[in-house]
Amino acid sequence: MGDLPQYIINGLAIGAVYSLVALGLVVIYRGTGHLNFAQGEMALFATFIAWWIYDHGSTMWFAVIVAAIAAFAGGAIIEFGLMRPAGKKSPLAVVVVSIALFQGVNSLTTLVFKRSTDGVPFQSLFPNGADDFVEIGDGTIWYYQDIGVFLTVLVLTGLLFLLFQKTKIGLAMRMVANNPDSAKLSGVSTNKTLMLSWGISASLGAVAGAMIGGINVNITNFTMFEIFLLSSAAATLGGLDSPLGALVGGLSLGIIRSLVSSYPEDWPISEYINRSTAVAVAFVIILIVLVVRPSGLFGSSRVERV
Amino acid sequence: MSVLLDVKGLVAGYGAVQVLEGLDLHVEEGEVAVILGANGAGKTTTMRAISGMIARKGSVTFAGTDITATAPNDIVKLGIAQVPQGRGTFTDLSVEDNLRAGAYIRKGGDSVDADMREWYDVFPRLRERRSQKAGSLSGGEQQMLAIARALMSKPKLLLCDEPSLGLAPIITQELFAILGRLNTERGLSIMVVEQNANLAVKIAHSVFVLETGTIVASGTAEEIANDDIVRKAYLGY
Repeated sequence: MGDLPQYIINGLAIGAVYSLVALGLVVIYRGTGHLNFAQGEMALFATFIAWWIYDHGSTMWFAVIVAAIAAFAGGAIIEFGLMRPAGKKSPLAVVVVSIALFQGVNSLTTLVFKRSTDGVPFQSLFPNGADDFVEIGDGTIWYYQDIGVFLTVLVLTGLLFLLFQKTKIGLAMRMVANNPDSAKLSGVSTNKTLMLSWGISASLGAVAGAMIGGINVNITNFTMFEIFLLSSAAATLGGLDSPLGALVGGLSLGIIRSLVSSYPEDWPISEYINRSTAVAVAFVIILIVLVVRPSGLFGSSRVERV
Repeated sequence: MSVLLDVKGLVAGYGAVQVLEGLDLHVEEGEVAVILGANGAGKTTTMRAISGMIARKGSVTFAGTDITATAPNDIVKLGIAQVPQGRGTFTDLSVEDNLRAGAYIRKGGDSVDADMREWYDVFPRLRERRSQKAGSLSGGEQQMLAIARALMSKPKLLLCDEPSLGLAPIITQELFAILGRLNTERGLSIMVVEQNANLAVKIAHSVFVLETGTIVASGTAEEIANDDIVRKAYLGY
């Protein structure tokens, strides 16, 4: 494994996409205590909006920004129109609705964007020609495409951190996440805050979709299935309430995946190792981490004296 | 003195279970009102109904404004701050962020920082632990923090739901001494519901006795302390 640095670099871009979807999951989980099963499919729909706008003659950057704004509105509407009424019934209703959304939004995508079942070409936001790379160290190369995805996710994570820790909106979001009753008694509108969380989360999903579209240079209505699976695993690994955990969890899974996929052919049992083995290995690692640390790597195991 | 909080015919409960059945009480401006009641009398329900946390009927008027249909996050803006039962701190937030959370309805800036320093002076233990997570504080410290947090909203009326719950007697005494000083030195109006009647009545101007959802006796603190039946039932002597 002399190319170890290269394999790690290769895993960073896809890992960053996992991180971004996981961040979206964390934002909603913190506010509501629920995993949004539709996160991936909501992102898929937004990505097809971006594709549609680009296809009608705009630049990709403009298309992705418009899609992210549309996703924000969509996320807020889903919270207001579906999740909030469901939440008043029972917590289980919220889970059922978000599973229904998972299926429903995927079907909606194929209905609105008929070509999605065959797949459509997707233009990357970053230069992705065969020569678009820099050499770092001896022989290790890093494609601009992968650098772009990695930096985008780092910047978004940083912005999200600043939003949570340094702004009043972020304070309100942390208040609602920690103690909704006391948040209300302190003057926070929990309804508005949750709509905002869903909006932000959906926007992150839209960007994540554009990133994976750029990596695959193609999107279909199946694109987000595996991404969502690994991203929810990343969020669990990092700790469902920790943005930093989402970042680290996603990148770790990306790297693990790249390493397993690059398992040398002349090593033992190599005939049993292939691309899907990577996913299995990732889940075994998660299982071990969760046995040792049930709240994930960075999740808060609630310290509470009563 | 004028009436700050006026509650008339308050009806509230949880789902099909009605807990309050036409409750009347009032708090005069600048006074401490205490609601005494045994477990299950409806003390917490009364608090939650006044601050709008549960559905309510009847009329609740605060400083001349009818707030019966007002949402809790708007009621705090009018000047009622509630310290809920079981402290209600933000356990995952630092002590300092808890105080900032309390000032959420304010514009922020220098006056918030100044108030924070002021409450740190009143509760020095909180200053020592300002960067610690609230959940790691002791029960007494958390109760102090919950009160300081409520005060950061600059309320005209402070509602305290059983502040003595789960605290050592000496801490409870300290707590009531502070509540008493907030009233006498700063003129803050306070309404406290308590089981620990002796301590509460000491700082009270008026007392209401709550039994199964209605007020069965009320009067000045002296009147209640001299009422044989109430004294035996709640003060224990």
